[in-house]
Amino acid sequence: MAELVDALLAPLSQGFVLRALGAGAALGAVGAVLGVFVVQRGLGLLSDGLAHATFGGLALGLLLGTTSDRAIWVALPFTVLIALGIQYVRRHTSLGGDVATGVFFAVSFAAGILFLGLRPATAAPVNVEGLLFGSLLAVSPEALAVTLVVAVVVVLILAVIGPRLAYATFDPELAALSGVPVPTLEYVLLALTALVVVVGVKTVGVVLVSAFVVIPAATANLVGRTPARIAVLAVVLGVGGTAFGLFASYHLNVATGATIILTLGALFFLALVFRRR
Amino acid sequence: MSEAIRAEGVTVDLGGRRVLDEVTFDVARGEFAALCGPNGGGKTTFLKAALGLLPLRSGRIAVLDTTPKAARPRVGYVPQVKTFNAAFPARVADVIAANRRGRWPLRLTAEDREAARAVLVQVGGERLLDFALSRLSGGEMQRAYLARALVNTPELLLLDEPTAGVDARGRAEFLDVLAGIAERRELAVVLVTHSARAVRRLARRVVYLHTTARAWGPPDEVLDHDLELSGAFSGHDHADRPFCEDA
Repeated sequence: MAELVDALLAPLSQGFVLRALGAGAALGAVGAVLGVFVVQRGLGLLSDGLAHATFGGLALGLLLGTTSDRAIWVALPFTVLIALGIQYVRRHTSLGGDVATGVFFAVSFAAGILFLGLRPATAAPVNVEGLLFGSLLAVSPEALAVTLVVAVVVVLILAVIGPRLAYATFDPELAALSGVPVPTLEYVLLALTALVVVVGVKTVGVVLVSAFVVIPAATANLVGRTPARIAVLAVVLGVGGTAFGLFASYHLNVATGATIILTLGALFFLALVFRRR
Repeated sequence: MSEAIRAEGVTVDLGGRRVLDEVTFDVARGEFAALCGPNGGGKTTFLKAALGLLPLRSGRIAVLDTTPKAARPRVGYVPQVKTFNAAFPARVADVIAANRRGRWPLRLTAEDREAARAVLVQVGGERLLDFALSRLSGGEMQRAYLARALVNTPELLLLDEPTAGVDARGRAEFLDVLAGIAERRELAVVLVTHSARAVRRLARRVVYLHTTARAWGPPDEVLDHDLELSGAFSGHDHADRPFCEDA
């Protein structure tokens, strides 16, 4: 038995696995907490749209001459601006959030393709596949540090604004009447989602990052009975699912990001069967 | 006696349409007033303006001798359409506690529960304390929202068609509860309703709003002497057949 446990935990002796576990767990936890609000507001597609916008930001960074690792510093403000733009359209037009997200995501992604094409022929080649699908096992110490800092900052901000944001999620008009600054909190929520998505894109890629925000929170929402319990359960699922998927992918020698998302997906379908009615 | 609401020349435009035009009337403290008129006449818009949720194009509304926004902590509000997020796991006690605290209670304290229970008792809904909001019937929902509105001991209560969607028995019970609370607490109340019976029974004054305040006075005067209103409310016999069904 001890030998089996040793064999299962053997990957932890390698630095790149520890970094992957740290980044994945941080992303799983912060994505889950954020996801509780995103899912409750019916903004599941938002994180997906912001992930595609991040591609535009990373491409702009590369066009401006940064390295692939440093392009995140251009992508961060770029994606936050896109998030604020989506929220502005939601608030000031009759278009729904999904429509606003669809417009901004398509334009940003197209701009990204254009930016990559405008790079000089002498520029270093870009691993577009890496941008799209990420590589959790290749997380650098710098990327891990950025992920951990963003996760801690976002969780701390959510701990402060969470009760008011929850009230605004329940009913924005009643919350406003109780003194909750609803529009400001909505802008903050989208900006925080943009931050998490950008650091997530660096680790699991454009295509899969929204799963960290949506799936654990959606799963917890199926079985939890209060917002606080849903948040705690979402974090457990996000971190646990990420760790399990990481180890499983290592031992089975299959794609890490995909295994993590499939693990989270399996938990979702399990919850669907045993959901509260 | 100072006013609970003083509206002077209130004009509100929404989506390029004038919804309220030079509306002027007042409601005294402790007075029970009914706000009536056809659908689209501006009743809900007036309440929202009195809550500071809508900007005025011109004119002025003073609520409890201050601005609508400053008065909010002293005003209870029961909305017509319950716009809450049905996917949000909310119990009645949570909703009442949220209004009391100004934020969502991640954990209900004993004090929260006691405060919620006390107001639910007043509206005859004590058993609703731990009920999921999304599973309440129309009548239960109105009691829960009335309890929510009362938890901060308001001086003014604004109710927007609170018995819409409630059956006849539920309507009568709700109005009984409301009348009792208004009297005991000496609350100023503005009730938006289409029911002539509710107006006659509860209101000391009626404002008939159809973009402008077309009539304003005691129920008998407004209901009996204005042909338009008489027809609007009840046909010819003043039976309780609302102009627009409460349902």
